[in-house]
Amino acid sequence: MTQRYILLVDDEPHVTRVLRLALEKAGYAVTVAHDGHAALACMTQQLPDVLISDIQMDGMDGRTLCPLARKTYPEHDFLILVMTSMTALEERSWARALPNTEFLEKPLSPRQLVARLAKHFAA
Amino acid sequence: MKLNRIGITLIASALAVIALVVTLLVVRQQESRTNEMRAKGVGLARSLGTLPVALLGANAPGAGMLNALFAYQDNGDLAYAAITDAKGRTLADVAGRGTFVPAAALPADAAATFGQRTLPGKDGARGLVEFYGPLADRSQGQAFVRIGLYQPGYAVLARDVSFLALLALMMFLLVPLIYIVIKREMAPLDALGRQLRQLGEVGMAQRQSAHDVRELAGSLQAYLEFASGRIAQLEHGSLNATADNHVLQYGSKKLTAALQSLPDGLLMLAPGGLVTFASDKVEPLLGIGLDAILEQPVDAWCRDPALRTLIARYAGGQRDTLHAHSIDFTPANVEGKYLSATVQPLAAAQGAMAFGTLVVLRDVTREQLARQAGNDFVAHVSHELKSPLNVIGMYAETLADADAGDETLRVESLNVIQDEIERMNALVGNLLNVSKLETGSMSPERNRVRLDDLLRDAYDHALPRAEGKQLRVELDLPRELEAVAIDKDLFRIALNNLLTNAIKYNRPGGTVTLSARNEDHEIVIGVRDTGIGIAAADQERVFDKFYRVSEQGAKVARGGHGLGLYLAAQIVELHHGRIVLESEPGIGSTFSIHLKIVPAATGVVTL
Repeated sequence: MTQRYILLVDDEPHVTRVLRLALEKAGYAVTVAHDGHAALACMTQQLPDVLISDIQMDGMDGRTLCPLARKTYPEHDFLILVMTSMTALEERSWARALPNTEFLEKPLSPRQLVARLAKHFAA
Repeated sequence: MKLNRIGITLIASALAVIALVVTLLVVRQQESRTNEMRAKGVGLARSLGTLPVALLGANAPGAGMLNALFAYQDNGDLAYAAITDAKGRTLADVAGRGTFVPAAALPADAAATFGQRTLPGKDGARGLVEFYGPLADRSQGQAFVRIGLYQPGYAVLARDVSFLALLALMMFLLVPLIYIVIKREMAPLDALGRQLRQLGEVGMAQRQSAHDVRELAGSLQAYLEFASGRIAQLEHGSLNATADNHVLQYGSKKLTAALQSLPDGLLMLAPGGLVTFASDKVEPLLGIGLDAILEQPVDAWCRDPALRTLIARYAGGQRDTLHAHSIDFTPANVEGKYLSATVQPLAAAQGAMAFGTLVVLRDVTREQLARQAGNDFVAHVSHELKSPLNVIGMYAETLADADAGDETLRVESLNVIQDEIERMNALVGNLLNVSKLETGSMSPERNRVRLDDLLRDAYDHALPRAEGKQLRVELDLPRELEAVAIDKDLFRIALNNLLTNAIKYNRPGGTVTLSARNEDHEIVIGVRDTGIGIAAADQERVFDKFYRVSEQGAKVARGGHGLGLYLAAQIVELHHGRIVLESEPGIGSTFSIHLKIVPAATGVVTL
């Protein structure tokens, strides 16, 4: 079984640090980018199986990154997980318009994320 | 009509004058005849007196002088001539037909001198004037001569009639001449009178027949009275009208001034839809010149569809537009403005009178921005609170799942959790303080203090945090600091926020310097770091609420929450001081607080 590759985009170092630890522990390959530009740069190297992105970031934010990633690689079908607060309902409409895009509720639980990814790849 | 009356008057006057003249002439003629008669009588009596009686009598030779005398009758006024004795007995006489010598005794003086007396006529006959005197012959006073003459009558002599008639005719001929002259002179007056009558018909009805000069004058006077009454009335009316006009104008100007001084822009639309009034405020609000708005329909100038639609609803006079409706919109011609437009019908007397439509435009930019800021604030604060919670949650989970041997991860997790709790604590504390500051419930208790202790406290407090990041902290104080008046607790918050930033944005191995020095009238407290510095574009805004310098490319782990510097600046301002930032990206920043030195004489307690 090939190692799944996950691109983690957030400008909050504590978050990426914890998630990275959890994901690597679960056996995923993880690359961290601190904003959209960095994420797109990473994607030119290797396309991820899952793109996990925060919305609010300095530099290019998630709202710009996600549609752009979809548009840039239309043939590559990868899951996008958008990290968002449960209360920020107005943030969701743009993400719903994107195919194969789901929400990752904050506050985040690394355990839940790992479980969800396992479910996704098992399907 | 008037001139005819003047003619009649003229004729009457002429006749009166003629009668007077004729009378005077006749009287004068009569007088001259009386004189003439006396001369004749006296002459006859004297001349007869010189003659002897014998010559006079009827029985005298030659039928006597008396007969001869009688025969010489020039005009028949000689009544009789007689010679009588003293007792009046006739010695000789001659008399006219039907005339007798009256048997009247002669007066006593008759013997001495010639006299004259008047005798009444008998039986309605003409009166007589008798001239008498003594005879000059030997009668020795026994015979007297008496000459009786008829008193002259008043009959106009035939020869005088033609003269008088001629005179009257000539005088009478003057009448038409005078009449013509008067008529000529009167013509303009008459015309004037007619005009005046026409002009003053109302007051002149009873004076229709007025014609002569007197009437004309009366008319004129009446007209003048009438006219002056009218003029006075008109003047009064005019004065009243002017006064009313002034009052109206005053009221109108006052209203306009009041409307113009309202902070809102006002538009009034006539029922037809044309703008009849637009206050000066409309122009900056809509960004459209008043010239383009006034007397124009809304569609001609309004670029805002929402406003146009709203006004159009009222222009239609629909029943559902009896009440005011409001919309908020951003004017097309002005950038960054939010307006609220309230449209309502202008009506009086429960809608019985409709004057059109009133549009009130209000600048709600500040309210809108405040509302937006409020929303942003809530969003920002909740985000700021959630982020540490998120991190704490994740690390707690990591900690729970961590292998017993992974000591590094456990320590890291605990450190992060502690940091995040501290961060939240600072945020909540600052939020509370900002809230107090902004609602004005934070009233600083200013006391005159020496800053040394406060600065040393802050230094001691910052030291462990700085050492955790491998930073050096230096305290640079002069031997003695002047006193300032501050609220120590508040000032500690400001100082702490500055130090927190200096530590947070420093580079590893960097230095934080807390210094204070006396200047002319101020104490300057400096917090200097050797950190990333602040770009020039950000320096102005760094004290703004929630403003955070973009941390792109910065290796610093955590950003602030955008309240620390804002709060510090607010606190310094509360102390009437100022905060100054000097910064160079890549080298570091220095925040300086300038506070006025308070001399001891002010009596503020030094703590």
